[in-house]
Amino acid sequence: MTAIMTDKQKNQSKLKRQIKEHLIAYSFILPNLLGFAIFTLIPIGFSLALAFMHWDGANRVGWAGLENFQRLMDDETFWIALKNTLIYVAGTVPLTLIASLGLALLLNQPLVGRNIFRTIFFFPYVASLVAVAVVWNLLFFPSAGPVNEFLRAIGVMNPPRWAASVDWALPTVIMASIWKGMGYYMVIYLAALQGIPGILYEAADIDGANAWQKFRYITVPMLTPATFFISVMLTISSFKVFDLIMVMTGGGPGRATNVLVIHTYNTAFRQFEFGYSSAIAMVLFALVLGITIVQFYMERRWVNYM
Amino acid sequence: MKKRTISILATLMFFVLAITGGVSAQDDSITLTMTAWDIATIPYWQAVIDAYEAENLNVTIELREISSAEYQDVLNIQLSGGDDTDIITVKDIPGYNAMLSRGQIIPLDSYIESAGIALSIYSGAADELIWEDQIYALPFRSDIWVMYYNKAIFDAAGLEYPSNDMTWAEFDEVARQLTSGSGADKVYGAHFHTWRSAVQLGTVQAGDPIINSDYSFMMPMYDMVTSMQEDGIIMDYGELRAGNIHYSGPFKNGQVAMLPMGSWFIGSLIQAQAEGEFEFDWGVASYPHPEGVEAGTTAGTLTSLAINANSSQQDAAWDFVQFYTGPAGAEVLAESTLPAIRTPEVLDVFVQADGMPEGTAEALQTTTVRLELPMHPLVASVEQILNEEHELIMTRSNSVEDGIAEINRRIGELE
Repeated sequence: MTAIMTDKQKNQSKLKRQIKEHLIAYSFILPNLLGFAIFTLIPIGFSLALAFMHWDGANRVGWAGLENFQRLMDDETFWIALKNTLIYVAGTVPLTLIASLGLALLLNQPLVGRNIFRTIFFFPYVASLVAVAVVWNLLFFPSAGPVNEFLRAIGVMNPPRWAASVDWALPTVIMASIWKGMGYYMVIYLAALQGIPGILYEAADIDGANAWQKFRYITVPMLTPATFFISVMLTISSFKVFDLIMVMTGGGPGRATNVLVIHTYNTAFRQFEFGYSSAIAMVLFALVLGITIVQFYMERRWVNYM
Repeated sequence: MKKRTISILATLMFFVLAITGGVSAQDDSITLTMTAWDIATIPYWQAVIDAYEAENLNVTIELREISSAEYQDVLNIQLSGGDDTDIITVKDIPGYNAMLSRGQIIPLDSYIESAGIALSIYSGAADELIWEDQIYALPFRSDIWVMYYNKAIFDAAGLEYPSNDMTWAEFDEVARQLTSGSGADKVYGAHFHTWRSAVQLGTVQAGDPIINSDYSFMMPMYDMVTSMQEDGIIMDYGELRAGNIHYSGPFKNGQVAMLPMGSWFIGSLIQAQAEGEFEFDWGVASYPHPEGVEAGTTAGTLTSLAINANSSQQDAAWDFVQFYTGPAGAEVLAESTLPAIRTPEVLDVFVQADGMPEGTAEALQTTTVRLELPMHPLVASVEQILNEEHELIMTRSNSVEDGIAEINRRIGELE
């Protein structure tokens, strides 16, 4: 049945083949897309709709229009939570970046046992978050914990009361978060470091560059893609922090570590105001989206893809 | 063709077996489910179930455990998700308020009327559960706050045991006399658990309602407790929170001389002593009271049973609830805890349990019981604010005056 095809028939069979290829491609993506749609996209849409309603989880849904957002403006706890979240992000993101870069640089050198150290530094990232929070609290126990005992031994008379103090609770949580996350970003930096061509350093040696100049003019620019990726991921996950703070301080003392997601949780599940809680969640979403868009816009300025 | 015939025959046989199998398995055995907490350390859950199952052989009751620290949070989420656990244990009034306002528990009035139950047997406790002329739960436990003390520590200091007529000022004095030692051997004169109620219940004995416009009535108690904390008479609040320390630990370890706590602890202490967890003698005295308030005034909490609106076996569930909250259940409960029905016979059973310290019967005599949290639409938000400000005062982030001013301001803005 091998007839000679006309041009028209050739085009038709080409089209059919293309459609078939597209369908095969979509069927590969479909499972993941379905999962994303059912578990992420639709709930976000639901939440967006809820932000304009009143709902207590059991009785009928009532229309609220912009009331929830107006209430947000006057809600003192919301502004406290927003401030705490911004402080948390401002503390965690740069410090984690610097710590993981420092670790990666150190562990890229030919050291004895450096694979063991890489594993040790990565371990906190996979450790159980509750276990980390409990042990951290014990270490930083105000009266008898090892950290304060050490501080007293070296002469600090009134060491801070860490998670039990309004001023120090947020720094304590930030420290725990940096310690827990830096291993993961260290691995990313290690991979990026190993991707920098050695000839660049050799050329720099020939030109007589010292270690600091090599770092500043070769390492840092070549790492900008990794830095960009890490800063975007870190910012997004820092804005969404919940579990570490919930287990370590529960949002306290008072409202000292109350962040946006904890406020959302309290309003939804302790006070049964799902509409208002969705409004807070939408504000958080808009904030993170805005900052991420700004970061992507700035990408063109400072990220070098060689 | 042959294969098809065989497969058709097999399918027919399967259906026949399924139908007849189903028919022959039909009997009237009922399984009810019930929510509970701390099942391992609280003996009465299973005891009442055993007593009921002995009389109703076709009913089995399964307990579904929820951790006590997050009981209401977890329960709220389960019920919102359509959980069909038949019997819901109501742990506190804000939880009760939440569940009934969302229609998750059913009104019991028609059941109560047809069973001919008179709510007066609960000595007024059931009245606290009535909302808009309907009642959605019946109490089975009505606990009061009392004071536990370690006799060995009193003996060692040569002091008389606390009387049932102790004012908070006397409590403070005695606690200071009993505090001794340092480090791991330190003995604390008293212990206040981290719940805000451990401190705030001492403020409502004079009759000031906990939902109020001016909270300065809480000042004397907070002044006393913060100065005790400052002087090391009680353990530091921040550390109790950070280490998640339960009140039973320090008391059973013999580190604490006096512990104001609810009467539910009596059963746990008796069981712990029987199991050899500690060996010193302990006693129960009445809850201390403010100057000018009658001795025997204390604060109370109710634990009740409700029926899930989503349950498919509400009548069977009611039969069990009626047993549990009625005189039959009270007699079983009285062996380890204070039932809501407090006839002299029931109280007799309670104070005669093995290991019950002498003098408990007198300590349990009350003149007025103030409810910890009343029914009120804003009770959840008020409790959230009181909890947060309590933390700030106890961790010394706010002075007592500033803390009370904050409470006044924030609750004032709620209305």
